[in-house]
Amino acid sequence: MTTVTATMPARARDVLASEWIKLRSVRSTYLVLLLAAAAAVIVGYLVSHADATRWPTMPPAQKAAFDPVSDPFSGLGLAQLAFGALGVLAISSEYTTGLIRTTFAAVPRRRAVLAAKAAVAGIITLLAGELIAFATFFTGQGALSARHLDVTLAHPGALRGVLAAGFYLAVMAWVGLGLGTVIRHTAGAITTMTAVVFLLPTIIHALPSPWDTRIGRFTLDGAAQQMIAHHPDSGYFGAGPSFLIVAAYAAAALAAAAFMITRRDA
Amino acid sequence: MIEVNQLAKRYGHVVAVDGLSFTVHPGQVTGFLGPNGAGKSTTMRVILGLDAPSSGRATVNGRPYERLSPPLPEVGALLDAGAVHGGRTAQAHLLAIAASNGIGRRRVAEVLDTVGLADAAGKRVRGFSLGMKQRLGIAAALLGDPGVLMFDEPVNGLDPEGIHWIRGLLKSLAAEGRTVFVSSHLMSEMALTADHLIVIGRGRLIADVPIAEFVRQSSRTDVIVRSPAGGQLAGVLARQGAAVTAETDGRLAVTGLDAAAIGDLAAAHHITVHELTPRHASLEEAFMELTRDSVEYHADVPESTRKAA
Repeated sequence: MTTVTATMPARARDVLASEWIKLRSVRSTYLVLLLAAAAAVIVGYLVSHADATRWPTMPPAQKAAFDPVSDPFSGLGLAQLAFGALGVLAISSEYTTGLIRTTFAAVPRRRAVLAAKAAVAGIITLLAGELIAFATFFTGQGALSARHLDVTLAHPGALRGVLAAGFYLAVMAWVGLGLGTVIRHTAGAITTMTAVVFLLPTIIHALPSPWDTRIGRFTLDGAAQQMIAHHPDSGYFGAGPSFLIVAAYAAAALAAAAFMITRRDA
Repeated sequence: MIEVNQLAKRYGHVVAVDGLSFTVHPGQVTGFLGPNGAGKSTTMRVILGLDAPSSGRATVNGRPYERLSPPLPEVGALLDAGAVHGGRTAQAHLLAIAASNGIGRRRVAEVLDTVGLADAAGKRVRGFSLGMKQRLGIAAALLGDPGVLMFDEPVNGLDPEGIHWIRGLLKSLAAEGRTVFVSSHLMSEMALTADHLIVIGRGRLIADVPIAEFVRQSSRTDVIVRSPAGGQLAGVLARQGAAVTAETDGRLAVTGLDAAAIGDLAAAHHITVHELTPRHASLEEAFMELTRDSVEYHADVPESTRKAA
């Protein structure tokens, strides 16, 4: 029996099963997802509620630019951070404890481990992300309905925007996983992620026109906003190209991880 | 079987392993002995394909580690008992490792039982003592029921009962025909467990001998003799087949004759003896003697203090 198992290749299904057990057997997974959901929904509601409240006194220019679809997603930042941290922890917790050695001794094909982590974390965060996006959308529309500013999913671009918001959260997990693999320290990876997602857009936003948008449209957050919004901000790409930019961030982070993971001693 | 051939590993300018070659055979416990920093853990990591060697190679059952697929039915290893996620239960930890090699839930229960952790299976590892973590690490190594087992310092942190248990386990695994490779920096521990010894220091091979031979060579006793007629006495003793070496301040170290025989011979030749002391070198002392030149960190007394003293 031993000889039979020994001649079989370490199947992808087994590695996936292993990573799935790892993800669901730690409390931090549930905690982070719960925190993300609460933050997204509550902050989204508060933002939409505030906008609805000050609607009568809002300047006409702001009223014209108001987008009821993306408005509840203005408070997505905390959820992004939480999803990114989930991705980081999926591998950095193994590097910091030394568990990665046990993992690589059991599965010497390190890229298979990374691929399984990306697949498992990706599926879970995509499902959770979409769930959170829909919940945030409906709660936000509830707040906007006080001024009859609310829209339904049938509104042009609404369904696309909500799906894009959920997708953005899954991308954050992939970016986190990539950074966690390259940096191998939880704090370092989360700090880097925060800088890329929050700090970088803030700095670029402060650049003199037109450089603020010319560069800003390529930032992860800048592109993600356009992917969610009904109409892109002036100077930015539309939803389609912005979606590709967002996806490219995930692809680049995972490619860097795949490149580094076999090049260093575990 | 584990084969290490001309293995070298450098980290920048630091040479951790330096042209190491040895073979670990099945059916016996092979002790891997050396002072801290001798390169034991590095060698084990290279064998497991975790660290890439600078040159040379290591194989398990004739193949490089990464060619074993899946590896766990062939090799089980415990490198670091602390390498666990504290938030996971013992059972979940083992299930995740087992699943990656297609090993089922029933085997997880079996190994938990083997190491005596069945009652703690559902507890989070965070609350485990070091001894419990060692047992969990051993359970993980046993998951694939492998023919080759490697343990890095497995008795660290175990209580006397645990140490007794692991000695028995290592011996029974070897008796089943498995290759058992155990590192330690404690000679006394290896003397009780190992059948064969591989001793390294500063990444180089110092000894590769059966334990019985090592004990015979190392634990020889001698007799210290001091006499005003040392030269004459040495000649008398040598004629009786004893090996005599001159030590400092005119003392003689004699092997091959016991203290009573030396005293009788001296009396018969009317030679005055001022001191006659049997001396036993312990295994630990023999080991320290063997590796003295290769210990990385000496507890040296600074030159100035030594003079003052």
